[in-house]
This record gives sequence, C-alpha cells and structure tokens, in this order.
Amino acid sequence: MIRVFSRVAAFGFALMFTAFALPAAAAASTYELRPFDARSLNAIREARAGRPFVLAFWSIYCEPCREEMGQWRSIQRKYPDVPILLVSTDPPEERVTVARFLSQYNPGRVETWAFADDFAERVRFAVDRTWRGELPRTYLFDAGHRPEARSGRLDRRWIENWLARQSAIPRR
Amino acid sequence: MVSRARTSLRLLCVGLFFCSAALSHEQHADHEASNGSSSKAARGDLGSSATFDPQGTLWAVSKDGGHVVVRRSGDLGRSWSRAGPVNAVPEAVGADGDSRPKVAAGPGGEIYVTWTKPLSKPYTGDIRFSRSVDGGKTFSAPVTVHTDRQEITHRFDAITVNRNGQVFIAWIDKRDQAAAAKAGAAYRGAAVYYAVSDDRGASFRGDFKLGDHSCECCRIALLPRDDGSVLAMWRHVFAPNIRDHAIAQMNPDGRAGTLRRATFDDWRVDVCPHHGPSLAADAAGRLHAVWFTQGSKRAGVFYSRLKDGGVEAQRRVGAETAEHADLAISGQRVAVAWKEFDGERSRLRAMLSEDGGDKWRERQLAATAGASDQPRLLERQGRFYVFWNTRQEPLSVIPLP
Repeated sequence: MIRVFSRVAAFGFALMFTAFALPAAAAASTYELRPFDARSLNAIREARAGRPFVLAFWSIYCEPCREEMGQWRSIQRKYPDVPILLVSTDPPEERVTVARFLSQYNPGRVETWAFADDFAERVRFAVDRTWRGELPRTYLFDAGHRPEARSGRLDRRWIENWLARQSAIPRR
Repeated sequence: MVSRARTSLRLLCVGLFFCSAALSHEQHADHEASNGSSSKAARGDLGSSATFDPQGTLWAVSKDGGHVVVRRSGDLGRSWSRAGPVNAVPEAVGADGDSRPKVAAGPGGEIYVTWTKPLSKPYTGDIRFSRSVDGGKTFSAPVTVHTDRQEITHRFDAITVNRNGQVFIAWIDKRDQAAAAKAGAAYRGAAVYYAVSDDRGASFRGDFKLGDHSCECCRIALLPRDDGSVLAMWRHVFAPNIRDHAIAQMNPDGRAGTLRRATFDDWRVDVCPHHGPSLAADAAGRLHAVWFTQGSKRAGVFYSRLKDGGVEAQRRVGAETAEHADLAISGQRVAVAWKEFDGERSRLRAMLSEDGGDKWRERQLAATAGASDQPRLLERQGRFYVFWNTRQEPLSVIPLP
C-alpha cells in the first residue's frame, strides 16, 4: 500500500516537474536549475520507475561539453520520448553563469539541474563511485534503470543506437 | 577560538604519529575566519597552493572573491598571518577544477604568485603575475605574463624557480588552435607556452612554445633541474585523441627540448579530466610521477618511475575513489599523497617509499566531512608535509613521519 502510494506520489512529482520545466525550456531563453545532490539520482529513478532516461553531467569549464549542447537539442527532437537530464557540476556559486551558458548554447527541451552541494565528492559518489569527475560524463538508464556510462565527447552512434532501442519498447 | 577547536575535533586522525599534528590545530588562530565576508564560502575559494621559502616559512595562496590572498606561517601551519594585499583592484581569479593560484619562492626570499584571470568568453583567460621582494609586505601590481593578447585560452598557469633564481611560468595556450581555426584547419587540443624572468620577476622573456597538442584543462607539473633547465609534464593529446602524458625540457634561452611520451595508458577520449600529473626527481636523477588515467590499459591513479619509452615500478595509488595525487622526493625517499572519498568523508592518505619507489607503506593522515581542495605534498629539509585546505580545517599542514 505504501509502495503504491509512493509510486503515485512520485508520478505526481514527475508531472509537477514536467509542468514547471517545459515552458522554461521551450522559451529557450531561461533555464530553471533544479538542485542536484546526493539524494537526487534515487529520487529521479523513483519518479521515472520503469522508464528510460539520459543523465548527462557537464560544466561551464569543459569545452567538449559546450559542443554537446546543440547535440542534445537535436537528439531530444529526434527521440522526444526519452527524457534528457543535464546536470551542471559547477559549484553552487556559479549558478548565474550556468544559466547564462545554457541560454547561450541552448540544449533545447531538456531538464536542467545543477550541483547544489558544495561537497562535490559526495554527490559524485552517490551517482557512481568510479567516476573521478572527468567531463562530459553520460549515463544511459534503460527501463530497468541499468546504467551504461561513458566519459568524453558524446558518441552519437552509441547514444542513438541506445535511444532507438528504448523507443522501440512500448510505453505504458 | 572555540569554534576553531570544535572543528578541529572533527578532523579524524588515525595513528599516534598524526594525533599530535592534528591537535596542534587547536592553537591554530586564524583571525580572518571570524570576520569572513560571507557566511558560506565559495567552493572555488578552497583552491590553493603552498610552498616553503629558503628560511622555512610556509607561504599559501588562495583567492577570496576577486582577490588573491597570500598567507604566511612560521610554525608549520599552526598559525597563519595575511601578507599582501596582492591585487588592490579586484579581478576574476580562476580556481575551478584543476586551476588555482600558485606560489613559488626565490632564493632571496622573493615570493612569486601567478593565477589565471578568466575573461568574458568561456575558456579564455590571461596568466597574471605579482611578486613581493620585501618578505610579503607589499606585492607588485599584477601584470599579464604573455605578449599574446587575444581573448583565447591562456590558462592553467604553473610556476617554478630554477637554481639560478630564474622564474619559469608555463601555461596552456590556444593561439595555434585559433590560428588553425582561422585558416580552416584542424588542430588537436591546445599548446604549452612559457616565459622566463632573469630579474626576479621584474620582466619576462617569452612567449616560448614548449609543445603543440596539449590537453586543454589539466595542471602542468614543473621540475627544476641541476643544469638550470625546467622539465614540464602535462596531459597531452597524442594522435588521434590519446590523452596520455608528455614531458619536455624548457631551457632558459627559450629553446624547447624534445617532446617525449611519458605515460602509456592509451586513454582515447575527448574529455576534460581536470586531473593533471605531478613530477619529481630522486638523488640519482631518476624521474618519478603520479597521474590519473581511464585508459584502455589501466584506469585510476598511478605512480611510476619514468624512463625513455616506458615506465617502471608502476603501481596503483589508493582505492577506487582515489584522486588528485601529488608527490615529493627527498634523496631516495618518495612520498605520495592523495584523497579518497569513503561515502561520508574525504580521507587524506599517503604512501612512502624509502628505496626510490620499489617498496611502499601506506597510511591515513586525516579525514574531513566537507568540501576540500586537492592535497599538496611539500618537502623541507628531508621532511614531508601535506598541505590540505578543507572547509572544516582551513590551511591544514600535516607532517609525514
């Protein structure tokens, strides 16, 4: 009973997120930054139970990350069913710069998050203890939330093959 | 004082050797901590470097908003007092990822400071320099070290002083990449450039190119040699995109030595590791290094002696979360320090070899339950010290036994 309730609550939560996120992203001039901390990935997985998603970490200090922004826009258009979550690993004091960067390089209709914990090691550990902070770092979570991870400039063939497989899975 | 004592209790110390060092921090009176400008410091303000001057005074540099801040300690980090100010006019100071202000000391007690001043476009910057020739009382107005003034990457400054007192500053530079882009040509990564001062930092000669095709965002390790040259080690981009390390010699006259490959992990990736190497030499002149890789051959933090065409005595440093190792050498004694996160705390760990890197013993030095900078390993008269700037315990100095 509690499980069912939490599922419903999580779904409601997800709806709430979507309602807030879409108008902001569609406008492409302002991006809301949701706080990402050591508990966030669990919450995201719960809210997206049974559904695939892409989780991509980046920073304003990472050049290959900048080149990815346009790619995320075109990937999202091509595979609109699979949500893309971009997480800035920049320190909390850089939020204004992060938001400006997103507006300038426009990743499109993606969810945008930013590290909200000054203790970056704690956040990284909660995502993946083998990740040493190199960027960009991309995780593909399938419907069973089994992650595939890669560091470095986005491999278009890798992600598109994966996305095509996820989209072939009938949605609930 | 009371709050300082309380935070120092949070510093976990393991092993009797280190308890005395940790407890001494209770007397550590940093008068600035109580009248800090903001209740919550920025993560970038943790980014710091430290060095001993010839008299044994310890100098630390970090940033506080738009100001570079130099502090000195005459008692191995128990107490610090503020020197300077360095830049009277506030400006942007880079302390992100592998970038942070640097400090070096000259043979006459000169204090040299460098930092990267980010410009308005992303990834651009100027290498800035200021010096004190009066024991840290006053610092010169900051100057830009390079003559190239394009709004492009001049970042990741590194500084050292050779045995003749000449000051070497090296940095990552994108002028060749910018020129290639203008000509519609491809260019791998960035380049390493350097400048030399013969007059205690009053002026610089440069910009000398050390090598093409460096990685874009890792610190450069510098090592002054007996002949007055300086060896540089950096993360390179070997064709097509192998981010292993290179080593080359900077000569005082601006001639660059042959670029050699130093590590062989085959990390083929276009990535921003923000995880540069460290380099030191032993009494026999052998080179020792620590570095990070996620290569196809091995992944993690590694130690090795470097030799032409390969490495020897290679070993993994720390456990799976180890990062940001530094090393120092005294004679045949090699010390490596790094940090690793255990799920709750960042632990400061060290390993020590008495025989030039063949046999090692490892121990934990400290731990902190908050944000922390990369550890710096320092050597003074045969003793090793780890300088570690943490949110809970600012500017800690932990001696190795």
